[in-house]
Amino acid sequence: MSSSDAAPTLPEVRLRDLRPAVSPVEVVARIVTADRREVTRRSDGSRRPLVSGLLSDGTATVRFTWWDPPREGLDRGAVLRAVGAEVREFRGRSELVFTWKTRIGPASGAELPAVDGDDVPQRPVRDLRAGDEGFRLEVRVVRVASRSVSVGEERRVVYDGLLADRSGPIAFSAWSDFRLGVGEAVRLAGGYVRTFRGRPQLVLDERTVVTRIDGAELPDPAELLRSPPRSIAEVEDEGGGVALAVEGIVVGLLPPSGLVYRCPTCGRSVTSGICRVHGQVEGQPDLRARLVLDDGTGAVTVNVARAETERLWGITLEEARARLRDLPDPSLLEEQLFESVFGRRLRVRGSGTKDDFGVTVFPESVERVDLDLDATADDLTARLGPGA
Amino acid sequence: MSLREPAWRVTARELEASLEEEKGTGDRATTYLLSPFGARMSRVLLSGTLSPAEPIGRDENQPFWRSRLADPTGSIAVTAGSFQPRAMAQLRAVTTPGPALVVGKTHLYRGRDGVAYVSVRAEAVRAVAEADERSILAEIARQTLDRLDLVERVERGPTVSDEELRRDGVPAGWVRAARASLARYPQVDRPAFRRELAGVIRAVAGGAAAPPSAVPPQVRVTRSPPPPPPPAPPTVAERAEESLFLDLLDEVADGSVDGYADWKELVERTSARGLVAERAEAVLNRLEEEGVVEEPIVGKLRRS
Repeated sequence: MSSSDAAPTLPEVRLRDLRPAVSPVEVVARIVTADRREVTRRSDGSRRPLVSGLLSDGTATVRFTWWDPPREGLDRGAVLRAVGAEVREFRGRSELVFTWKTRIGPASGAELPAVDGDDVPQRPVRDLRAGDEGFRLEVRVVRVASRSVSVGEERRVVYDGLLADRSGPIAFSAWSDFRLGVGEAVRLAGGYVRTFRGRPQLVLDERTVVTRIDGAELPDPAELLRSPPRSIAEVEDEGGGVALAVEGIVVGLLPPSGLVYRCPTCGRSVTSGICRVHGQVEGQPDLRARLVLDDGTGAVTVNVARAETERLWGITLEEARARLRDLPDPSLLEEQLFESVFGRRLRVRGSGTKDDFGVTVFPESVERVDLDLDATADDLTARLGPGA
Repeated sequence: MSLREPAWRVTARELEASLEEEKGTGDRATTYLLSPFGARMSRVLLSGTLSPAEPIGRDENQPFWRSRLADPTGSIAVTAGSFQPRAMAQLRAVTTPGPALVVGKTHLYRGRDGVAYVSVRAEAVRAVAEADERSILAEIARQTLDRLDLVERVERGPTVSDEELRRDGVPAGWVRAARASLARYPQVDRPAFRRELAGVIRAVAGGAAAPPSAVPPQVRVTRSPPPPPPPAPPTVAERAEESLFLDLLDEVADGSVDGYADWKELVERTSARGLVAERAEAVLNRLEEEGVVEEPIVGKLRRS
């Protein structure tokens, strides 16, 4: 099972160029998803194993079917070289079928076809959708931060942040260090888009080609993070987003708000001393506020964490706990929080995700806004027109 | 998927001028109050001077409070009952008239004389500083002007597509509301309503607004087609039937475990007193329409 004895006549093709007319072929691709199942043969009732899923080589993603696969070595992310794979067409899209005639072996990421920036079409960030790949972007790095995650046994560093062009921003996650710096303009080729918390996220893997560019026409990161608020109706239509700004009046407070208890292990909120995941735990006190922010066109829920809640409420977690001792009914504490936030005009920046109940915003900043009443009155008078 | 209804920024006058409803279909459908000025409201946000609340309703177990909110354009009833405990407590906490902010659901009641009364069932009420009231009035005036501009734009060019308006940043809900306003109130004098906003803007600038009662409303809103003629006032005989019906309803309800009057039992008793099933049903329909009696569960009645 090695590629060295591959029949030299088979063409090695990129997944983007697969055509049923050219079959069999040789491909190098990464497993994106793989599901193992068994099919019962109609003739003798025997069961035959098969793996199907998606393969990607950075130029396209195609479905594959592998009859009688090995028991192991089919993990997500593994790179394979398949010699003698059949190309079929199903519903107008090309698929690969690995049969007993196909020779399949492991390959390294370096053997994947090079994705050249000039080879793939350039796309505006706003048009990217989950599942897209084989494109090129010219973007500004708005924000980037590293964090360490554990993948199985291993610790790895991931770089998360925000990229933007004139059409809009997108969150990204990079598994290798491209030494991206805030404010840099780059051309990216070879990433792909997945869904993260209901929003598209750009993933830069080790084959992504990063080129520094001049990028004079790209937006200034500071400008993007200062962008004026948008109407909540628009944010609802778009299903949330990153680097959002909305402004409205607090018209409601959703439970649980105020003093809450969280699981010390996972941070989930604890009811009656029971964590959904970790069972009986000693809840750690915390403050939070789930504000309903409304601008007259729509409403979002803003999940405000402890520090901002303390600032909005004007009392600290310790003070809230002290108050609790004097209150006959703990729910009065939530009423007090509502009293102190209801009717306030706030401008909130952060990222938002949408579910069946609407958009929830996870704020990076929450500011009070005061209108300049005299200037506003003058503007409004001008709009009324003469004779009013 | 049902998104939370936005709180439309409106003046008391706009609510007073709203006579049309759009009833949704299906389970738990939202009913919208349509205004002539481009609002399609389930929830509203108002600011003005709130008067102390007074209790209404006779049942001690079903407290219900009402106060009035007056802004520079008019005034509107604000109510809260035991189903809005937070709002009811906040409403009752108002002891002297003062600036306040109200968020609540619109409620349209059409009396037997055909006159529509709009009220706001409060979800949250709060006394605010005068500067906060001015700031909210500024937003109300701005959004009301935005909506009037939109209604006029659609009126001038009815062929303007929703897509074109959306591209200009107009929320879909506003476009829908503007079109509904034009369809339901084709004859309204919108420029006159626009002029009435001058009082709101004076209040934003800090000037004392003329008390609303001193300014007779300049906008006369007529339903089109004109409202159905009010039903003939009840005859003495009908009143007697209603009174008997209600007495027996109270009797049956008092004797029942759940506090509801069972319809079958009630009909038995009314029949015994000469009010046959058919007549009793007619009386019930009338009382339900007037909002005196309700049937929250099929076959189970109670006073509203």
